[in-house]
Amino acid sequence: MFHFVDQILELDPGRHARGVKHVTPGDTFVRPTAGGVPALLSCIIGEALGQLGAWNVMAAKDFAVRPVAGVVGGVAIAGEASVGDTLLLDTTIDSVTDDAVFYHAVASVDGTEVLRLENTLGPLLPMEQFNDPEELRERFARIHRPGDPPEAPQPDGDPAVPFDLSFDEILSLEGGKEATAVRQITGREPFLADHFPRKPVLPLSLLLESLLQLGQKLLEDGGPRYVPTGARKVKMTRFVEPGSSLVAKIRVVERSAESALLRFRCEVDGGRACVGEAEYSAAAGESR
Amino acid sequence: MNTDTIYPKVREIVADVLAFDEPEIQRDGSLVDDYSAESIDFLDLVYQLEREFKIKIPRGMIEQEARHGLSDDEFEENGRLTDKGLEQLKAYLSEVPEDRFTPQMQVALIPALFTVETICKIVLRELDRGEQAASS
Repeated sequence: MFHFVDQILELDPGRHARGVKHVTPGDTFVRPTAGGVPALLSCIIGEALGQLGAWNVMAAKDFAVRPVAGVVGGVAIAGEASVGDTLLLDTTIDSVTDDAVFYHAVASVDGTEVLRLENTLGPLLPMEQFNDPEELRERFARIHRPGDPPEAPQPDGDPAVPFDLSFDEILSLEGGKEATAVRQITGREPFLADHFPRKPVLPLSLLLESLLQLGQKLLEDGGPRYVPTGARKVKMTRFVEPGSSLVAKIRVVERSAESALLRFRCEVDGGRACVGEAEYSAAAGESR
Repeated sequence: MNTDTIYPKVREIVADVLAFDEPEIQRDGSLVDDYSAESIDFLDLVYQLEREFKIKIPRGMIEQEARHGLSDDEFEENGRLTDKGLEQLKAYLSEVPEDRFTPQMQVALIPALFTVETICKIVLRELDRGEQAASS
């Protein structure tokens, strides 16, 4: 399942929407935390915000077009959402043209901001190429329940196995400087069934999460432990389809005792697929 | 105002959008051939320019203006430029080197001709338009 908006609470078509995502034990995209309660991957919170924006635009455009990942000017990670938490998603559309939607968004838990997206651009493409419009209309009808109180779904079955986001192989790694890694998109990845049924492609959110993790590994060289705090100027230039071999290069641009800035570039067949910057801050009082 | 005035800012935005360092961006560089601009980059570029200069760059504006006085049929045929259309476009995109134009080129590929200077001209035109609108 690669759908992350459980309910749409408010919808002003083409302008604004509020929705919720319950973080449940069945969530696949979680990671273990020091406190023992798994937390949702930050980039999946971003994905949920993007999906809420997408529902809004698709409904406003009568499901004739859909947005896909394009540019994220800024992602700011401020906190986390653990299993049991309810994420409040709030997406504001700055403008919609025939070609693209521009929006910004905030996710919070109990009134505290956990993640923010700024200057986000999603190209609008013909729906027919990606999804069955009827299927999306039905799904929309199921989750668009403005009057209902947000209720967490009943957990079904065992806790899900956390999804493996790592690259297949790290081709080179010069600690504190740069790394190159490769990942094969096989077509067997479970998220491809929903993203998208008629055109399976690697979601930008998952790619970004794996890049943030690769960057973190690059910064592990005996000094302070760095944790990702966000990303900037992230741009997906082309679709990464099954059969692709994605080569990611990431290098340290700036680094101090408090923070680090890394720049990444991913290529498929030598062509630019995704570029951007990853930001980290040194975790206070921790070192290894 | 001329394009020299806005060039530094345009160059900064172009470099930013296309993920190049500023010194690598040349005024006569082709966005597509020299800086590998893809369609998402054009969307991003237009959006960033609109925000920075507080202008609105209408979609298809270049084609509209380039055909200046020519009807659709005179300008293009089945999505390809006529000889007349090509001459008009060359005159309009005077900053683009002659050898980059090809006879009967596709109208959809016109943006592939754009240089950084073309972008400056587009911005300047919209700034002028905005001023005229404000003073009338």
